[in-house]
Amino acid sequence: MEALRDEPLWTPAVQRPRSLHEAWELKRTFGRDGVYVAGSTLLRTQWEAGTVSMPKSLIDLRGIEDLADIDEDGGGLSIGALADLSRCRRSAALGHMAPAVQEAVRCIAAPAVRNLATIGGNIASGYGDCLPALLVCDAELAVFDGKFLSRRRVEEWLADRWSGMHPQEDILTGIWLAPPAGPAGSRRIEIFRKVGRREAFTPSLVTVAIGCFIDSEGRLSGVKIAAGGGSGRPQRLDIAEAVLEGASIGKEQLASVFEAVVTQFETYGDPFATVEYKKKTAGNLIVAELWKALEGSAGKGDH
Amino acid sequence: MLDKYAANPGDRDNLPESARDAEENRCALGGAEAMQGMPNNPDCADASLPAEPGETLITLSCRINGQPVTAEVPPSRRLLTVLREEFGLTGTKRSCELGRCGACMVLIDGRPVNSCLTMAYQCEGAGITTIEGLSGGGLHPVQQAFLEEGGFQCGYCTPGMVISVVALLSENPKPAPEEVEEALSGNLCRCTGYGGIMRAVNKAIEKGVG
Ligand SMILES: Cc1cc2nc3c(=O)[nH]c(=O)nc-3n(C[C@H](O)[C@H](O)[C@H](O)COP(=O)(O)OP(=O)(O)OC[C@H]3O[C@@H](n4cnc5c(N)ncnc54)[C@H](O)[C@@H]3O)c2cc1C
Ligand code: FES
Ligand code: FES
Repeated sequence: MEALRDEPLWTPAVQRPRSLHEAWELKRTFGRDGVYVAGSTLLRTQWEAGTVSMPKSLIDLRGIEDLADIDEDGGGLSIGALADLSRCRRSAALGHMAPAVQEAVRCIAAPAVRNLATIGGNIASGYGDCLPALLVCDAELAVFDGKFLSRRRVEEWLADRWSGMHPQEDILTGIWLAPPAGPAGSRRIEIFRKVGRREAFTPSLVTVAIGCFIDSEGRLSGVKIAAGGGSGRPQRLDIAEAVLEGASIGKEQLASVFEAVVTQFETYGDPFATVEYKKKTAGNLIVAELWKALEGSAGKGDH
Repeated sequence: MLDKYAANPGDRDNLPESARDAEENRCALGGAEAMQGMPNNPDCADASLPAEPGETLITLSCRINGQPVTAEVPPSRRLLTVLREEFGLTGTKRSCELGRCGACMVLIDGRPVNSCLTMAYQCEGAGITTIEGLSGGGLHPVQQAFLEEGGFQCGYCTPGMVISVVALLSENPKPAPEEVEEALSGNLCRCTGYGGIMRAVNKAIEKGVG
């Protein structure tokens, strides 16, 4: 008697390109029948949920050299798309340059999943939890289009990704983070928060990220606020940002920020949480985190 | 192997009693009677992984529990299936198959990974340690601590739990409580309420395991 298996009876073939060009050509040849794969953790989730069907072929990106490096480079930080989330979680350089991104990574899945999952796969999905954090850090993404490698701002890349216009063959090769530069005497504040249906190891309902500088008089500048969660589109919330830019935070500003977030945040309802619940959660998280950051910085000078 | 008796292979209630006993002897804590990583275990010859129509096979070469092995398997077959059905290493448990419960945890090159999320081709050249591989010379000190502190009830989560603790302590022999919590956040236990598990981890830390 055969052992019973829940797996589909056949599994995809695997192509193992050694260069970006080779991978890109394979994807162009296979079209929809070939899918890039890095850690395969999101793909597996999608196959099991039935939201995406198993392709005929997987195009494994892990054999391409240098795509998993994390390097300090010209004052900034470059992270290869194939760097696994555990390495990102441990990278002192990432913690220093972009603490919100590192906190987002810490909140993704559990250590064993993070040993397989890559930061590139998280971003390439278009909704991974790293994205709101990357939006407030002014990160750029390196993309290979078959001929050239170019750098694009995360917002621009997301706009294309969500419009469905981006070429399916594009390969994300890495992330570039410039050192945050604020006005003299100011201090950097960077926050990432995730809310799920339970405390740990849970998919996100709502994620928020905040990045800004605060000067010795409590005035904010370079304010960036973003929200996402679940499989919703990560987005900047520029109305709330405008309320805070150049302002010193008080109760009135926070009330306006809450209103702005609830008005602007576009999300979706699901069987567990309505759109209104998610909007309110985002508003409350952002206001609460700003309040905590302000209390924490009361009496502190520059960095 | 034993799974063939179960409508859902994870459902022990469907196993005949003799099979349940055999499974227990072999796998609870991966104890003395746990099977060592035998390449292409002859007991499991009936559960080899033939290609389905249209499927190609690769020759997977890796080390399992210290032994070099090769197997002809479909490249994107789950490591979990390969371990259990090709090598008879059923101490690695099958449950959610989604990366959410940790029952299928193994070490790959010393790092814990969910074998249900890992595909055969991702293991080429790797060193894989299953629960059976921990107890070659008697119980591993972490297993001993689980026994002494009552770190399990039904035992289904235990192999995965032990693997995660071994991985944690070999990297960080004196973890803080929040580091233990994070390291075990991907291992779910439906029975113990985690109290006994935490006592076992603390005992292993006290004994200087790692
Ligand atoms: C149990 C569990 C819990 C999880 N929890 C979370 C969570 O809390 N938050 C979260 O954000 N995610 C979560 N995930 C999803 C997933 O683990 C992460 O998003 C992960 O970072 C995806 O990376 P990967 O390398 O596994 O991607 P893969 O699954 O290999 O790929 C994901 C997608 O990106 C494409 N792709 C991958 N790399 C590239 C590239 N370099 N260029 C172009 N396209 C590429 C693939 O074609 C695919 O469409 C979870 C998954 C599991 C199994
Ligand atoms: S069976 Fe692999 S994590 Fe649950
Ligand atoms: S002891 Fe039963 S699931 Fe943990």
